[in-house]
Amino acid sequence: MTAVLEVSALSKHFGGITAVDGVSFDVQEGEILGIIGPNGSGKSTLFNCVLGQLTPNEGEVRVDGQTITGMRPCDINRLGVSRTFQLLQVFPQLSVRDNLILAGQEHQGSMYSRLIGAADAGLSDAAGQMIDFFRLTHLADERAGMLSYGQQKLLDAAMAFMAGPRLVLLDEPAGGVNLTMLGHLRERLQTYHAERKATFVVIEHQMEFVMALCTRVLVLAEGRLIAEGAPQDIRRDPVVIEAYLGH
Amino acid sequence: MNRLGAIIVGAAALFVLALPLFLKPYGIYLGSMWAVLSIAAMGLNLTLGYAGQVSLAQGAFVGIGAYTTALLMHAGVPYPIAFVAAGLVCFSVGWVLGYPALRVQHHYLAFVTLAFTALVFLVMRNEEWLTGGTYGLSGIPRPVLFGWSTNGAVSFYYFSLGVLIALAAGTWWMLRSPWGRAFVALRENPIRALSLGLDTRRYTLMAFAIGSSIGGLSGAVYAPLVQYIEPLSFALALSLNLLLMVIVGGSGYFFGPFVGALVAVLLPEWLRVIQSYYLLLYAVLVMVMMAFCPDGILGLLHRALKTMIFKRNPPQPALQPERTSR
Repeated sequence: MTAVLEVSALSKHFGGITAVDGVSFDVQEGEILGIIGPNGSGKSTLFNCVLGQLTPNEGEVRVDGQTITGMRPCDINRLGVSRTFQLLQVFPQLSVRDNLILAGQEHQGSMYSRLIGAADAGLSDAAGQMIDFFRLTHLADERAGMLSYGQQKLLDAAMAFMAGPRLVLLDEPAGGVNLTMLGHLRERLQTYHAERKATFVVIEHQMEFVMALCTRVLVLAEGRLIAEGAPQDIRRDPVVIEAYLGH
Repeated sequence: MNRLGAIIVGAAALFVLALPLFLKPYGIYLGSMWAVLSIAAMGLNLTLGYAGQVSLAQGAFVGIGAYTTALLMHAGVPYPIAFVAAGLVCFSVGWVLGYPALRVQHHYLAFVTLAFTALVFLVMRNEEWLTGGTYGLSGIPRPVLFGWSTNGAVSFYYFSLGVLIALAAGTWWMLRSPWGRAFVALRENPIRALSLGLDTRRYTLMAFAIGSSIGGLSGAVYAPLVQYIEPLSFALALSLNLLLMVIVGGSGYFFGPFVGALVAVLLPEWLRVIQSYYLLLYAVLVMVMMAFCPDGILGLLHRALKTMIFKRNPPQPALQPERTSR
């Protein structure tokens, strides 16, 4: 197996606060890596540093061996790396279909060819397939803002997959989703992973979701990596129990 | 809904085309002014209504376009070239003005663009060697296009209407292309848009540049319409008036600026009978409208139409959370 994502000694400070403190890890091709940790442990900051939303103070991030530290999020996305956010991030005024077309259109041709090309950037069929895959067919032409929270979470995940990325970083995909929808979301992620051989990194608080989905888990506490291993081992690790699962 | 929209637009187009048959020259002049203001407001609607970038500089771009056209025509340059030059100059200046929008948003951006409007006004007023200062530029000829003189009120009305239709068609094409979707994404959630591969920097600059160039082209029609331009016409009041047109018509609705410009042109004329009280009444009307329909006139119509359709066909429970059997 080869490493798709390599993170080396990454640190991020906000004034006197160190949100991420020398974190290093890598993600192998086809892996589903979970990142867990208490609130404020630096998980989302780590994602934001990896994906260009924040510039790390120290350290390096590589995708397929290419250094991406300091690159803009749009350029990182075009390398085949996509993400979801902790808080819902759909475009409420656009239809479900247009949200998905938007998620893929920047990967079609150049900016100027898109101006004179087809209105759907040739993505209507692909968007339709993604809508069917996430079982949102009956909502395809509804405005995204009209969907329930769980349905918007599904759409959010579908948008991350629309451009056919090889690495997807999901920030709390299960947050605020009811149990029925949660099972559906997990099953869809597992199916997508099996079918497309995509690599996932998942930040999540919902432990059952992490244990069922991930093949390996990292644990962050106070910005530092404190444990790493198989989900079952992590569950029994006394350091992790002390820091995170001890209640 | 789409069919109804097409019927309304078709009827409005027929009405606008037949308008000179019913009006005296002053009324036709107002029709041309409506077309000019609709073009400028359409450009602002692109920048503000679709891409979400607040601008108080559209009036300045109308001015830059008007002065560019007038100066070039006085120098003997044919109108079509002056027209294109006005658009290109405003595109370039608008692109540069877009850079602050990459750093500041909302009311901060409004102040940046307001400062730009003040700057343009000062240049127009003080650089007499170029702009004629407070005396402005007069004797701007009306164009002759392929042997067709637009000197008369009716022919100039059709000329300005033609420019409006051509620019509206181009804008419509752009807004239904992936660019239109990208502009809306820029307005709704630029951070998410960036993470989906949208070069938000370039789209922001484009939104500013294209919106400004449309403003400049409106100025290129305004100059030969009034045949005399002076700095005060393009001061902050015009930018605020254009902003009002976009908001009153319906920001983010394609036909919003057309309706807003109609209100801005007609209302002062209709209220002229009450003399100096008209501004007072106009202000009250705008305040009432903003309080009860912040989406503008088209937003209000859209809501009314939706309510009517919902009453006829109650919504199916399709928006309930989907239950899965797994």
